[in-house]
Amino acid sequence: MAQAYSTEGWITADGRKIGPVLMEMKNITLRFGGVKAITDISFDIREGEIRAIIGPNGAGKSSMLNVISGFYVPQEGEVWFRGAKRPPMKPYEVARQGIARTFQNIALFEGMSVLDNIMTGRLTMMETNLAQQALWWGKAAREEEEHRAAVERIIDFLEIQHIRKTPVGRLPYGLKKRVELARALAAEPKLLLLDEPMAGMNVEEKEDMCRFILDVNDEFGTTIALIEHDMGVVMDLSDRVVVMDYGKKIGDGPPDDIRSNKAVIDAYLGVSHE
Amino acid sequence: MAAAVTPSGDPQSIPALLMRNAATMGGRPAFREKEFGIWQSWTWAETAEEVRNIARGLMVLGLNPGDHVAIIGRNRPALYWSMIAIQMCGAVPVPLYQDAVADEMAYVLEHSGARFVIAADQEQVDKVLEVQSRVPGIEQILYHDKRGLRKYDHAALTWLEDIARDGSAAQQRVDAELDARMAVLGPDSKCVMLYTSGTTGTPKGVVLSNRNVIETAKAGAAFEGLTPDEDVLAYLPMAWAGDYIFSIAQAHVVGFCVNCPESTQTMMTDLREIGPTYFFATPRVYEGQLTSVMIRMEDAGRMKKWLFHTFMDHARKVGGRILDGETVSFADRLKYRLGDLLVYGPLKNTLGYSRIRVGYTAGEAIGPEIFEFYRALGINLKQLYGQTEATVLVAGHPNGQVRPDTVGVAWPGVELRIDDKGEVFYRSPGTFVEYYKNPEATAATKDAEGWVATGDAGYFVEGLGHLRIIDRVKDVGKLSSGQMFAPKYVENKLKFYPGILEAVLFGNGRDYCTAFLNIDLTAVGNWAERNNISYTSYQELAGHPKVLEMMQSHVEEVNASLADDPMLAGCQIKRFLVLHKELDADDGELTRTRKVRRNIIASKYEDLIEALYSGAPEVSTRTEVSYEDGRKGFISATLTLREAKVFPATPSRREAA
Amino acid sequence: MSDTILYAMEVTLNGLMAGVLYALVALGFVLIFKASGIFNYAQGVMALFAALTLVGIQNGQIPFSHLINAMFGTQLHHFGWKVPAVLAILLTALVMVGLAILVERYVLKHLVNQEPIILFMATIGLAYFMEGFGDVMWGADIKKLDVGIPQGMSETVDQLTYNLFGYGFFIDTLDIVAAVVAVILVVTLTLFSQYSKQGRALRAVADDHQAALSVGISLRFIWVLTWSIAGFVALVAGIMWGSKSGVQFSLSLIALKALPVLMLGGFTSIPGAIVGGLIIGVGEKLFEFFIGPMIGGATENWFAYVLALLFLVFRPQGLFGDRIIERV
Repeated sequence: MAQAYSTEGWITADGRKIGPVLMEMKNITLRFGGVKAITDISFDIREGEIRAIIGPNGAGKSSMLNVISGFYVPQEGEVWFRGAKRPPMKPYEVARQGIARTFQNIALFEGMSVLDNIMTGRLTMMETNLAQQALWWGKAAREEEEHRAAVERIIDFLEIQHIRKTPVGRLPYGLKKRVELARALAAEPKLLLLDEPMAGMNVEEKEDMCRFILDVNDEFGTTIALIEHDMGVVMDLSDRVVVMDYGKKIGDGPPDDIRSNKAVIDAYLGVSHE
Repeated sequence: MAAAVTPSGDPQSIPALLMRNAATMGGRPAFREKEFGIWQSWTWAETAEEVRNIARGLMVLGLNPGDHVAIIGRNRPALYWSMIAIQMCGAVPVPLYQDAVADEMAYVLEHSGARFVIAADQEQVDKVLEVQSRVPGIEQILYHDKRGLRKYDHAALTWLEDIARDGSAAQQRVDAELDARMAVLGPDSKCVMLYTSGTTGTPKGVVLSNRNVIETAKAGAAFEGLTPDEDVLAYLPMAWAGDYIFSIAQAHVVGFCVNCPESTQTMMTDLREIGPTYFFATPRVYEGQLTSVMIRMEDAGRMKKWLFHTFMDHARKVGGRILDGETVSFADRLKYRLGDLLVYGPLKNTLGYSRIRVGYTAGEAIGPEIFEFYRALGINLKQLYGQTEATVLVAGHPNGQVRPDTVGVAWPGVELRIDDKGEVFYRSPGTFVEYYKNPEATAATKDAEGWVATGDAGYFVEGLGHLRIIDRVKDVGKLSSGQMFAPKYVENKLKFYPGILEAVLFGNGRDYCTAFLNIDLTAVGNWAERNNISYTSYQELAGHPKVLEMMQSHVEEVNASLADDPMLAGCQIKRFLVLHKELDADDGELTRTRKVRRNIIASKYEDLIEALYSGAPEVSTRTEVSYEDGRKGFISATLTLREAKVFPATPSRREAA
Repeated sequence: MSDTILYAMEVTLNGLMAGVLYALVALGFVLIFKASGIFNYAQGVMALFAALTLVGIQNGQIPFSHLINAMFGTQLHHFGWKVPAVLAILLTALVMVGLAILVERYVLKHLVNQEPIILFMATIGLAYFMEGFGDVMWGADIKKLDVGIPQGMSETVDQLTYNLFGYGFFIDTLDIVAAVVAVILVVTLTLFSQYSKQGRALRAVADDHQAALSVGISLRFIWVLTWSIAGFVALVAGIMWGSKSGVQFSLSLIALKALPVLMLGGFTSIPGAIVGGLIIGVGEKLFEFFIGPMIGGATENWFAYVLALLFLVFRPQGLFGDRIIERV
């Protein structure tokens, strides 16, 4: 279905509202020594959409995600977030701007309980100072309760009540992925970055994860950017797709356009990658 | 508020009981549910208001007396309320198994002719939508959990809370009619329709009247001395008659509190937090808990292990007798007290049985060792014998007369009779009205005098008067030698081993017995880890030579014990195999209540059975499996067949010992 | 009650008190190890440095006076004022925070993502630097530290035990104070790490750096915080040990006593540090009391290490340490 693009956004076929541009990458180039991981890539992410970045292994998807989340600083190009150019930032500063992420290889606090892990997602939102906390003054106690309530809603949403008190280290892989998503959600991010959320999962777990991603976007209106190398999953999920290959952008548009894009088909099927 | 009462003033329907409770004990808790990590609770007065609002909303929606309304979902207060609200409108609730696949659901929806379906969440709504084209009678789907449903077409889909809100708004308009409908509900009005799980053929809709339900609930409450202080945990399928009796009928008759777990997976944690006083579980639950205790003990320190075994041995010796009120020496009592302090108390606390007064088990025969373990701890665990057609209760153990190998005496008000073929018959106030739209089946099961055939073979134990059930009548058979073949008895013996999840015995009309075994992945996986056996899949673990060796030793132990009993010595297992996949209700191999479907397994795995009787050392096979999303696939495997030692029948051994 | 039992009880009590001091030093190690995976060799020197600074500030000593005198031929020693103990402790704490900031900025920041052994080497360097720096700043002479903690035999304990058993125990008041302070410190630290926002962040960093960054925690802030706390713990240990045996170079060697404590208690456990300290304290005193005379005494010098060695053989992760499981 052809969509009416406008700078103000549009309404999708299933009735969700896509807003104006939230984040824009302008001519990003990232080098590691002499190796170019990303070459002159530009694209934008709009409010409320699910934006996928896909590409074969080694296409530079993860590097792009790391640029967005501040783990890498590109040599060239500009990152614009909420209408302002973003100066080079540390990852924790990016996180405090409202960009939460998950990792391909899961980065959770293994020794802490699921609940504590998710609570760390709200650290940057806690306002009371050390002295107030020390005395457990009204405000500190109330704040803790509010955060706990918010975390409980996420636990309920992602259906992980049964492991609330379990140390993360003891959980199976699929549940860890879910806990990591919960922690990212706890920060109530303006932009949620998911690094291969379906990697290493079986069909059933993938379907669950898809449902959760769609529900997060639907219920909380969270803007989501995800990278994935499995094309099939992404096409059903996302509103618009950026395709990368060898660090370059070879396609950008709604899934239907991407499916019929010659360069994309070549990258995935025809041309070998050795 | 008008409600029909008997001359003595007793309410005659569930809605009438609710109104009575709201009036006489309005401030006491009626329902609790854990949500967002906190136990929320509703008093009887609040519950009555919630129920009335849903009922009013259903009236606005056009629910007529006599209509059927299907309910699908896990145990949640809102769904229980909906059931009562439906009854309040004069309609009949039809709860469905929530894990039923779309096809099974379609049959029940079609057969019951439900106009409305109340579904818990997106998952259930999806299933109903999937079958809706085949089941034209469904006019509206109501749902409780909004999550994920916002984008759905709401032409025939409504949020339950909107129904209740509309109902509340229409109060003035519909209340008179609602009260009038409630007033005509009498003892013979239809109360609920429950579908049998379909162990044999297609599910049948068992119609129960208010009299069936209320009289049975009352009899049970009096038998056990239930009070409004009881707490039950509602976690068994709402479609099962037992849950209806315990969580609705008895809760309303007695006025106790029904607690709903946070999710299916948190059941064990919630059990611990609630500490129910009145509890029902299938043998599988008790067995699972015992297995997990045993596994934890294997990993425990030496001191802890020693304490556990020393005091458990003592408990096995005297615990059951203390519970039955028999005389036990002072020293033994003292040691039991000490054990309670050190072992039993903490253990009961972790299991969630600190406050338990009455614990029931039914459904499948329970291994005597499992049964005695809980009794030894001081948990008043009893067997129940019953079926949906009897409004659950047929026989049970009176306090102080609990025997693991019987199902107790006839329930108050129940008459029992055994025919010359050994089949058990009963007649009681709980005897069902009819099978819905199936007069032939009704006639075949219930005779003109009201006697109902149970399909179970059993006899009264000499001197004790307790009923003992051996097996299903149709499953008890004979070997070619003429010796008795009682598969369930042997399977239960095997299933007591923590490593064996399921066992299926074959041998009817054959020369000797053979068996399929299913490993318990948790227990065997744990064992493998401790013994440095690595495996990548269920199939690999199940076929591991070390695992087969362990299974063989279990089988031979069972054979040895069977040899002690001249009646059953023929049931010894000569050859067996360990299945490469877990028997699964989704593949039709088990019923939804996890009973083995012997015939289906026998035909599905015909090649394996033949191999067992052919004497071949191994067999290759290909099996169809269904995944949870409904897709199908195949798994192939080569299974090793093992020969087990068989013992000569030694009737004299017991007397000599 | 027999005399031997009474003596043994007294020895045990004294051992407990000594153990508290070991535990205090070990605590500093554990804090830094948990938060950053660094085995901070300089922890002992930090205690020495803190004690030196405290004495210096208290006595109004002019920092670097030897250096200044040598360069300019002046005769500077003191400002000529005395600073009250409480204020001096606060000032020293500030100096330790300053030290933490400097360590983060000039050492740790440049060593991010390096092998643990490199970081360990860096702390050895840091130890020698601080030792020399402390000498230059405050002078190498042995100093007496007195912040007003009562010392000498506790009359109360003496009286109490005399009334109870007919034999008065000899317990140093300083030890009792040290024990009370240590308990307060541990309780505060535990509450801080379990329930405060910063504590949660600290645990998060200790667990996974990358994940901590992604939830908006600044690693640099956490490192400064940890080193400040470790510095503060070092200050407390420095005060206790300094009051007991004077502020001198040997103070930095208490770090070596903390090693067996860590092996016993585990490198990652705060309760482990406490229990380990107490076991070593009591163990070495009792061993000296019962076995010492048979084998010529002076067992206190080596007992702790032998015990630690035994532990390494049978329970390498320590009493409370995280269990190391290698999955096959």
